[in-house]
Amino acid sequence: MAVRYGSPLKRAITFHVPLVLMVGVTLFPFYWMVITSVRPDRELYNVQMNPFFTFHPTFKHFQDLFELTMFARWAWNTIFIATVSTGISLFCGLLAGYALARLEFRWAAPLGTLIFVTYLVPPTLLFIPLGDVVKTFGIGDTPWAVILTYPTFLIPFCTWLLMGYFKTIPREIEDCARIDGASRIQAMIRITFPLAVPGILSAGIFAFTLSWNEFLYALVFLSSPQQKTIPIGVFTELVRGDVFYWGPLMAGALLGSIPVALVYSFFVEHYVTALTGAVKG
Amino acid sequence: MADQRIEPILAESARPTAVAVPAPVAVSVPGFRRPRRLGQLLERQDVLAVVLLAPTLTILTLFIAYPFVLGIWLAVSDKVVGRPGAFIGLENFRVNLNDTIFLRAFQNTFVYTFIATALKLALGMAAALLLNHHFRFKRIVRASMLLPWIVPTVLSTLAWQWMFDATFSVFNWMLMNAGLISKRILWLGDGTLAMGCLIAVNVWRGMPFFAITLLAGLQTVNPDLHEAAEIDGANAWQRYWRVTLPLIKPIMLVVVLFSMIATFADFQLIYVLTRGGPYSSTHVFGTYAYEIAMRAAKLGQGASISLSLFPFLLAVIVFQLWYIRRSD
Amino acid sequence: MAMHEGQGRINRRAFLRVASAATGAAVTGGIPAIVGAQKAPSFPKGTKLSVLEWVSFVPASDVEFKRLAAEFGKLAGVDVTVDQINMNDLNPRITSAIETKAGPDIIMMISNWPHLYADGLADVDDVAEEIAKRDGAYYEHNRMVSVVGNRWKAVPLCSVPSTWAYREDWFKEAGAGKWPDTWDELRKVGIELKKKNRPMGQAFGHSLGDPNNWAYSVTWGFGGAEVDPSGKVAINSKETLEAVKFTVAFWKDCLDEGGLAWDDSSNNRAYLAGTISATINGASIYFVAKRQFPEIVKVTSHGHMPKGPGGRFYNIGGQGRAVMKYSKNQQVAKEFLRWFMDRPQYEKWMAANDGYVVGPTPYWEKHALWERDPKLIPFKEASKFGRWPGYPGAPSRKASEALVKYILVDMYAQAIKGMKPEDAVKWAEAELKKAYA
Repeated sequence: MAVRYGSPLKRAITFHVPLVLMVGVTLFPFYWMVITSVRPDRELYNVQMNPFFTFHPTFKHFQDLFELTMFARWAWNTIFIATVSTGISLFCGLLAGYALARLEFRWAAPLGTLIFVTYLVPPTLLFIPLGDVVKTFGIGDTPWAVILTYPTFLIPFCTWLLMGYFKTIPREIEDCARIDGASRIQAMIRITFPLAVPGILSAGIFAFTLSWNEFLYALVFLSSPQQKTIPIGVFTELVRGDVFYWGPLMAGALLGSIPVALVYSFFVEHYVTALTGAVKG
Repeated sequence: MADQRIEPILAESARPTAVAVPAPVAVSVPGFRRPRRLGQLLERQDVLAVVLLAPTLTILTLFIAYPFVLGIWLAVSDKVVGRPGAFIGLENFRVNLNDTIFLRAFQNTFVYTFIATALKLALGMAAALLLNHHFRFKRIVRASMLLPWIVPTVLSTLAWQWMFDATFSVFNWMLMNAGLISKRILWLGDGTLAMGCLIAVNVWRGMPFFAITLLAGLQTVNPDLHEAAEIDGANAWQRYWRVTLPLIKPIMLVVVLFSMIATFADFQLIYVLTRGGPYSSTHVFGTYAYEIAMRAAKLGQGASISLSLFPFLLAVIVFQLWYIRRSD
Repeated sequence: MAMHEGQGRINRRAFLRVASAATGAAVTGGIPAIVGAQKAPSFPKGTKLSVLEWVSFVPASDVEFKRLAAEFGKLAGVDVTVDQINMNDLNPRITSAIETKAGPDIIMMISNWPHLYADGLADVDDVAEEIAKRDGAYYEHNRMVSVVGNRWKAVPLCSVPSTWAYREDWFKEAGAGKWPDTWDELRKVGIELKKKNRPMGQAFGHSLGDPNNWAYSVTWGFGGAEVDPSGKVAINSKETLEAVKFTVAFWKDCLDEGGLAWDDSSNNRAYLAGTISATINGASIYFVAKRQFPEIVKVTSHGHMPKGPGGRFYNIGGQGRAVMKYSKNQQVAKEFLRWFMDRPQYEKWMAANDGYVVGPTPYWEKHALWERDPKLIPFKEASKFGRWPGYPGAPSRKASEALVKYILVDMYAQAIKGMKPEDAVKWAEAELKKAYA
């Protein structure tokens, strides 16, 4: 939506200034992380030194990250796990969200409640009995242990969120399509889903990020160094007792987030185009 | 109103008539004719619902039905690691009510959750409104706004720990060099201040998600509605309040309630930053339950702490579902 | 066994003979009987052994341990895997392993975890007692945390004492030519140091290491204790009150005020940044300084925990290795532990640790490395004064609960923050009573 309004001064105050402030506060810690990741160790411990700049940047920490740890492998693991978990959760969430938002059926309320109620038992408690389930299925120490357990907290939210989006799409549109001869399923797939693309994308981003970020299940269900994900691997190998290897830690944090943000930037733009396309109709 | 919404989107559709009669559908895939019965079956709402819900229910039943029940059972048992537990009713909860640390955690959890959620909503909404424009670095800005959400929490929280560090805090450095303070501020050394820091980091981390989700919601609002309202003489604030807000309410509600439940159970952030200190003043349910269950090996007691809000949250979910399912 | 023809088989036979000879007479059946019959050991082909332990602060010792594990694997024809994670993250893994009855065969136990997890651990009396017979009785703190109800639930591995790291140069300038012997003397020097903006540093936050080292050592040092030997709560005493009052005064006069927010790593950073002059810590400050801050390491030395009216005490838990009850490879696991704790192997591992760890028996006080660097001597000697959480009671589950709730640490922290010492002690008493109920 390109709404331009008001004089340049008004624009500056109501738009540019808040935007800059917001971006600044959001990204400030990253700036610090970038500096730390290229700063030689000695400088880190110098209290007087300007924390915002260094005259001797070094790439040694990034090098160490790749050479001393299995970072590349962890990155691959994390991408794989997050992608598949997201796929599963979106698939389930789309269908379930539609059913709960649009369809009238007897068990709607209890089933709906059931799906979300599992949310109330936090992972810090659930991981113990979940470990049992993982063992029973024999998937311990494989990516499947987390790929199949992450949807337990991803699906309820995806469903919930998509329900919300479906509600904002007027029912009449589907009704029209069905009058024209489409079946419920066709109306759902051809009409409703495309209109909910912004919701689908944001649910997808949510699911991917939560999988990317997850710590406890990955800690407990994945034990070999080759199976670890970025959060576990980086945190484990670079925090040793009371000695933190700040340089590589922050390098790991940056490499573990900036590429993902870049990928997201494509998706975030996409749903603007999707909507503009739909509106022009 | 309905006409106005539909017209631009389905330019060629006929006006909706009173009765919609589902017609049998002929599938044009060569060599295959979908059996009429199946097609008709899937037109029934209850059958379709079951089919659509099947994948979800399968996964959840296989993976979480048993753990969920067990999680609840733990709270009413005296289980410790390695020994089978016995049912003891509400004894764990009685012990909790006498526990000063638990009561402190109770208070902290509510304060933490409500303030953080309110801030995330307000700031997220503001961010969404700002990002809902065309401007030159739009793409980069939107992507970079997501970064706090994307960075693994354990790692970004470590960075914050250093930034709040009593000796090295970058904030102290800035404030001192700007002459605003003469003695360093001990960010995480005072109970109230530490809670403030925790809330700040939670908001920093969580706001982007509100922003992006609400932005998606804003995007689904037809701009023609805004134009129409503007023509009618509404100013920006009125447009926002009367047009935008009601339309994105379902999404807002969903995000707020989900975020609240997640924040109630928040663990990683607080654990890395303060571990409940100083002097147990920043414990929340998640961290306290973890310490009791993992380090004192008292799984039953830990579960009871984790689940202290269960009945309350259950009521919230039921209400939320009812609200969303109200006929539009 | 066929895969180890020729050279390999001879090596394994020799290894087994040496192993059986070194273990003396206390072994029941097993390897010596088989060796006596000149048959290969009965570990089936494809036996796997998995070990879980912490990431050591000394990376070289992790490497050495993995190497030794691989060596054992070759000798015994077993596939050994080692997994290392943070100390703090061991608990959820152990919990999950015991509850699902699946996981690593050997898990490292830190401090009194054998008591916490006793039901999930196998008895290792044979291995533990053999080692004691050979090397001398274990230190009391190692023994107390590893024996639960008269059974050995873990084989003591080592301990990681924390002493005072301090700036010799600054102490000299403040009038202390050598490290003070009593708490009062330390306080006098501290006053001078803080005047010069060189305070000492102590953590009072919620982490298990440094804050507890102060809380327990000072409480005991003044004659106080959480419980009496029978387990009855005894914290509310004149002695504890003295300890709290002393701490509050010490805080005001000598300590860096950031300490309330400190975790285990904060004092390392502060010391290496030159903002504090002394702090209680393991050898990690010294080692990082050796690598990166040579000008600091030159003037850094270590001193003993000062003596109080009640004596000199260190809060050392000791580490051990436990064999899990669910493990299907208990025999292999015990052989591994036996072999590892044997002198040739342990000696190498201890050397790789470079003074960071102390052996579980007085035998290892003779290791050459202690002579190489006299600055590390206080670590070696600390064992003599070592005690465990819950002392003089047992390091039981209840002691764990007190530890986990940071009762003692919070008692001091609240007093520092302004609570009247009497009230802080009363609060601790109420909390301890609940934990020991």
